[in-house]
Amino acid sequence: MTTKQQNILKHTWVKPYLKQNKKHLLLVFFLGTMTFICASALMFTSGYLISKSATRPENILLVYVPIVLVRTFGIFRPVFNYLNQLTSHSFVLKIVSNMRVRLYKNLESQALTLSNRFSTGNLLGVLADDIEHLQNFYLKTIFPSVFATVLFFISVVALGFFSIPFALLIALLLFVLLIVIPLVSLLANRKRLMQMKVIRSELYASLTDAVMGLSDWKISGKQQIFLTDYEKIEEKQDILEYQMDTFNRRRNLLFQVIVVLMTLVMICFAATNANAGDFAHIWIAAFVLVVFPLAEAFSPVPDAISHIPSYETSLHRLNKIEAANVGTKEHVNTMKGQPINITFNDVSFKYDKEQSAVLKKLNLQFKQGEKIAILGKTGSGKSTIAKLILGVIPPSDGTVQLNGQNSSSIQEDIATYVGVLEQKPHLFDSTVMNNIRLGNIHATDEEVMEAAKKVQMHSYIESLPDGYNTRMQELGERFSGGERQRIALARILLQDTPIVILDEPTVGLDAITEQKLIDTIFKALQGKTIIWITHHLAGVDHMDRVMFIEDGSVYLEGTHQQLLSSNARYRRLYTLDHPMME
Amino acid sequence: MIDKALFKLNGFKRTIGFLFVMATLQGVFTILQAIYLAMTITNLFHKEQLANQLLPMSLFFIFFMLKQTIIYFREKYMKRFSMKIGSDLRKELNTKLFNLGPNITATEGTGNMVTLNLEGISNVEQYVQLFLPKVVNMSVIPILIFIYTLTLDTTSALILLLVLPVLIFFLILLGIAARVKADKQYESYQILSNHFVGSLRGLKTLRFLGLSKKYDRNIKKVSEQYRKATMGTLAIAFLSTFALEFFTSISIAIVALFLGLGLIKGTLVLLPSLIILILAPEYFAPIREFGADYHATLDGKNAFTAISSILAKPLYKQDQKEITKWDAQSTLNIKNLTVQHEEANQPSLHDVKFTIRGFQNVGIIGASGSGKSTLINALSGFVETKNTDILLNGETISSFNNKNWQNQIYYIPQHPYIFHNTIRNNVAFYTKNSTNKQIENACERAGLSDVIASLPNGYDEMIGETGRTLSGGQEQRIALARAFLDDSRKILLFDEPTAHLDIETEWEIKQRMLPLFKNRLVFFATHRLHWMMDMDLILVMDHGEIVEQGTHKELIAKKGYYYQLVKQQSHGTEA
Repeated sequence: MTTKQQNILKHTWVKPYLKQNKKHLLLVFFLGTMTFICASALMFTSGYLISKSATRPENILLVYVPIVLVRTFGIFRPVFNYLNQLTSHSFVLKIVSNMRVRLYKNLESQALTLSNRFSTGNLLGVLADDIEHLQNFYLKTIFPSVFATVLFFISVVALGFFSIPFALLIALLLFVLLIVIPLVSLLANRKRLMQMKVIRSELYASLTDAVMGLSDWKISGKQQIFLTDYEKIEEKQDILEYQMDTFNRRRNLLFQVIVVLMTLVMICFAATNANAGDFAHIWIAAFVLVVFPLAEAFSPVPDAISHIPSYETSLHRLNKIEAANVGTKEHVNTMKGQPINITFNDVSFKYDKEQSAVLKKLNLQFKQGEKIAILGKTGSGKSTIAKLILGVIPPSDGTVQLNGQNSSSIQEDIATYVGVLEQKPHLFDSTVMNNIRLGNIHATDEEVMEAAKKVQMHSYIESLPDGYNTRMQELGERFSGGERQRIALARILLQDTPIVILDEPTVGLDAITEQKLIDTIFKALQGKTIIWITHHLAGVDHMDRVMFIEDGSVYLEGTHQQLLSSNARYRRLYTLDHPMME
Repeated sequence: MIDKALFKLNGFKRTIGFLFVMATLQGVFTILQAIYLAMTITNLFHKEQLANQLLPMSLFFIFFMLKQTIIYFREKYMKRFSMKIGSDLRKELNTKLFNLGPNITATEGTGNMVTLNLEGISNVEQYVQLFLPKVVNMSVIPILIFIYTLTLDTTSALILLLVLPVLIFFLILLGIAARVKADKQYESYQILSNHFVGSLRGLKTLRFLGLSKKYDRNIKKVSEQYRKATMGTLAIAFLSTFALEFFTSISIAIVALFLGLGLIKGTLVLLPSLIILILAPEYFAPIREFGADYHATLDGKNAFTAISSILAKPLYKQDQKEITKWDAQSTLNIKNLTVQHEEANQPSLHDVKFTIRGFQNVGIIGASGSGKSTLINALSGFVETKNTDILLNGETISSFNNKNWQNQIYYIPQHPYIFHNTIRNNVAFYTKNSTNKQIENACERAGLSDVIASLPNGYDEMIGETGRTLSGGQEQRIALARAFLDDSRKILLFDEPTAHLDIETEWEIKQRMLPLFKNRLVFFATHRLHWMMDMDLILVMDHGEIVEQGTHKELIAKKGYYYQLVKQQSHGTEA
């Protein structure tokens, strides 16, 4: 209807769904329109019925047809309404179900490259909510607008049979109801909604500051300052909200003025036609009474249209994560069962052309079965090394190869060769058994339990009332960080890859838990290549090599013993983790 | 039907009175509007001239507009009223939030508190704004229309009256169905949305396990299951709406039929019949409207309950005693320090006692869950303590939730909160009147100068959630700079400040922290043992109790729990 609305209907998160489900959609439109037609027809035939009766026909059979019609429309209006509600909801749920899969696929292809803030933050929840929110776009905006439009044409054409000038006059009034008021309302509200959004995010930010920084506010004794400032923003919002409400109230009043004018026009039309003898006087009541149910069909439209900007926000967010899908798949020779060596050949990496390199001309060799610890500060590039091995990102320069094949070309099958123990492995809302089995979905129960034994969780799980069938969510509280890591480790054991990357799995654990976990990890992963990205030196004595990355290159490397005896800085750091017993 | 708690709202009774007046006026105007519309039609039906209908037509127009004006002003009033209520609730909630302190966000969840304040209050406003007028309309307008219809035609009035109990029956059914639906659907929806969001959150893990590609089938499957389950519940839920509409619609049809029969028999004339026909939908309208928004108001009702329950929490009592500035001679003697969280069956802290003198540096060590953080929180006055004897410079205070105590402390958690603001304002959060020179000096001492110099806007760079993200080490340095800047606070409380940092950063930050510890009373809770070397007193905690206390040397010599901790961590050193 409006340019903006056309845009929104052509949106990639709207149009394909409308197109795919054309038949279903037409059915919704039909049922919805029929609901209003029945409602109008009920009043129309009722008006006719009592007028006709008032002429005192000698025989009741003379009003038999209107009597039947009144009953029919009376029954069919709620029936159509019911069917319409069901079909429209079924339509929307179907679409939403498809959207979920699409959102998932989009995010899947970017799973490892999405910025941390994005993947850990609440944004994922927000995206999921956006899809739910779009349901309303169909139910509350598109459908009522379409019903009203169809009704508009039907009424104008129907009136046109009797009198073209009156039909045009009514068309004009209905046009105001259907197009002008909603459009003005959209334009007026759009600006306010945008302002509102700014204020809302301001409120959100300042409230988060208050809640998250509560201890600072409290200790600093500055609560009152916050409260006063916050109230000021709130007042701004209240004023805006009140303005919007005033606008809507006036709009509704105007809407009713048009409705009453329509009624008066209808009276004039019916009277003129009846007096001119175009139709009998008994039709007057019918024509006049039909105006009110008709107006009811139009009444949700202004509100529906003025809500469009809120859907645009959701659509915009969904669009932003639309996948820039990754390249072609090369032929890869299988390396199953073979020992795998990893080589970094003059590898440089930049995230952005303008930014400085994260890795600079790096040459590394990891032989099958080697155990290497990689240390470095935040931003030193140590996690980039892991991403390069996984082939998630290709090196800007140089090659990263597994047995001579580029890691980025193996990307699809990488899970066969490289397992990863993350900082916060996700435990799914399913049973313990299923969670471990994710490592190898073909594993038998016995194999799962075997893995659990290796990570020393078997007896604990067995001791739970539901054993391996305990749901993870219930355990959320009971499982400590160390235990969660053990479950994830059991998964990796089932995955049985020759290479395992440990990506700071012990962050946040206390020293004793950490020490025990490290011991378990190394015992369970014997024979595998272990690349351990770590933030401190507890457990490095398990390793064949220790490597420090700074500014994208290796600045310190050697065995633990070599470094301990030859490097003062290393010794100093080591004592932080191993305070001597004096 | 109306929440009892609503009665306590300011101006509630006056509002209800107002609504009754407005509803009565609306009912009267509705009837008058119907009379003059019917009169116009009847006159025209009797072949009178259109030109002679100016009077009834104008009267119809006037009463129609009067009715709309009534609605207009009622809505205006209700908007104001609900906004006032929202604003009052918000103020109360925020004040309560600050009174209860960080403890409330720990039990209720940060996100929850923010949502409750922003969305929850809007929902309550909507609830008040929509729900009240509807209830009042429903209890006034149908009665007025019924009485008037009774004066015109007994049969029609009786039909209307008989349908009402049926409608109310379905309305109650709708309420029950809505609750069942809300519960049932909410449950299955919760499962779905947990599953979906869970899958999105677990994408990385799925990817690492090589399962992410196949997993979309699972999403589809669960989504479809949900759709089917929902359609099942919706089919029933809509059935009650259907019944409501069906009886409305059918009774209008029946009224029309009886009117027709009456007219044919000659017991009725057209004018009253038309009036009744026009009024019949208006009779049902308030009931239908009430049913239509019933689900929408549930959210507001729930939010209102949630907010009320937080407001009903007992106030966290503040101690008002004057406290002198902590200095080298000050003493703090704590006995029987016990913290019991409502939900937990065991106390988080039990019978903790120790004595501190002057600018001691006190290390608090133990495994996670041993009560270190709770002790720091108790000392900060964030959690309520039970029958604790606190002797501060020989004077008894009831709790550390005392302004004069909190004015002297500075608290640094694992993740110091960074406000959405510039670096300058973040550093000067506690000391708004600091000069640029002082701020720069503090940043220098916290080791931030180089980082700040590399930022495009230097000290005016925005940080925090909407601005530049800082690394864990940089967050700690901001907190340190705050402490350096505020020399008046002589008591420092640390809660695991370096647990998440890489070892090099930890070492660098340690070098910056140690100078700050001089001439200050420091409580330092950590599981990183190396800090203990720099402490004058070590409190060793296990299961909410202090199991040992002393200096590092004493505790090693004692060969107790602390000795075991050190030994376990030093595993590998002997090699």
